[in-house]
Amino acid sequence: MTEARDGALVAHYFRHEYGRLVARLVRRFGVHELAAIEDSVQEAMVAALDVWGPRGIPDRPSAWLHRAARNALLDRTRTRDRRARILEERDEPAPPEPVEARLGGEVDDELLRMLFVCCHEELPERSRLVLALKILCGFGTDEIAFRLFTTEANVYKRLARARDRLRAIGAAEPSGATLRARLPDVRSVLYLLFNEGYLSIRADDAIRAELCAEAIRLTTIVATHPAVADPTTAALLALMHLHAARLGTRTDPAGDLVLLEEQDRSSWDRERLSTGMEWLTVARGAERLTRFHLEAAIAAEHALAPSFAETDWGRIARYHQQLAELDPSPIHALNRSVALAEAEGPAAALESLAEVVRPEWLRDHYLWDAVLADLHRRAGHTDQARVHRDAALDAAPSEAIARALDRRLFIG
Amino acid sequence: MSRRKFLVLYRGPQGGGEKPKSPPSPEAMQAMIESYRTWMDSFADQIVDPGAKLMGEGRVLSAKGVADGPFVEAKEVIGGYMILSCESYDEAMAVMKAGPAGQLTNGSMEIRELIPNT
Repeated sequence: MTEARDGALVAHYFRHEYGRLVARLVRRFGVHELAAIEDSVQEAMVAALDVWGPRGIPDRPSAWLHRAARNALLDRTRTRDRRARILEERDEPAPPEPVEARLGGEVDDELLRMLFVCCHEELPERSRLVLALKILCGFGTDEIAFRLFTTEANVYKRLARARDRLRAIGAAEPSGATLRARLPDVRSVLYLLFNEGYLSIRADDAIRAELCAEAIRLTTIVATHPAVADPTTAALLALMHLHAARLGTRTDPAGDLVLLEEQDRSSWDRERLSTGMEWLTVARGAERLTRFHLEAAIAAEHALAPSFAETDWGRIARYHQQLAELDPSPIHALNRSVALAEAEGPAAALESLAEVVRPEWLRDHYLWDAVLADLHRRAGHTDQARVHRDAALDAAPSEAIARALDRRLFIG
Repeated sequence: MSRRKFLVLYRGPQGGGEKPKSPPSPEAMQAMIESYRTWMDSFADQIVDPGAKLMGEGRVLSAKGVADGPFVEAKEVIGGYMILSCESYDEAMAVMKAGPAGQLTNGSMEIRELIPNT
């Protein structure tokens, strides 16, 4: 498509246009038509590929797609039932070109509402994520399966069940108080989406960056839309930018994991960092601390520290402690011990972990053993360090991680 | 100096999430993280009750009876509250300036000392 004579479409045009079109048509025709709407938008895009290739991209591609999708939808519903007449009566003219649409514009409004539909409390959290990836990010079921490390059949089933559920409960477009009430759920899904990209230990760099970018795109809509903007979403967006700024330096050209202390700080993305810091400033409007405020604070401490050694580890350890108080997960205790090791030494770190019980779900996770191996190694407990190092290497989920561990946990 | 309690009332609409404009310099970023640290620390040291936001609607009782309120026509409504434990008004103001008050684009925050029950 990019070689058409009218010049290139913006990056991810079709994928993002998919989300806009579905959101727009759902606005017009209702959530109960979701399946038919998605099929119609898909059909319009296939038609566009056929027509635009030989004839070139039309002057107003979004209006073209909207018209084609709307016609496909009306055909579909007309042959299906008698409601077609009602649908036609509710029909409205094609939208303006949304590419330049700015903050708070109609397009953001529709995407925002669609996002809140996808995060309906009647749906399981995993399904909310899958639905958002399908509808708002415009990924196909195979692409979602690939990104979430599951099967296409699983994604397909989840989507079908989620649409049925939305139709069965007669889900309406949320507004006003419903929007605000659902905001925490929406933030959770956005956070999940970001972490699928940021924390994934299996996906390649391009895929991870793409998922992070999608999470940032959608979160920016939520953080700037006047109906729902609040300081906690700003904290979430800050933490996304601050983490994403370091994304490119976490692996080397061979795909091996680069540990924080080995990363080239000068190649962190300055623009992302400054955007993150600005959102962090907005986040201070909150009346209480949330996990997003704390996680953003930790990310900011790392991002602005001149070097690994000059990082304020004591402060970071305190933030992890506060996180543990909000959300008693042993992961926070583990992270706190890592910061304590830098602030006060390996003995203090080991002591902080002494009373923490390793939970069943972390039994076979490499991270726990890797941290213990490192702490014991630095405390001079060679035998214990070896035991944990071997366990960590056995559990390493990828070759890249195993190599990084081997390098870090080398015991002379 | 002993610690006293202060009630903070937010008036007017809460500051929303206006998208930041020009990128800050490294110097400005350092100042941002300093403010953020001050704000975060205030939760441990001075904010004894983080309070809550208030729903937009309620009831107003008066000698004349009960009315739906508060005063939709009023320019400013109380949007939330917080209770601080500080040594002085100056300290309480510093806490609020590092936090929500630093974000105010409209509205205001009122700080009043609580008289202890005897």
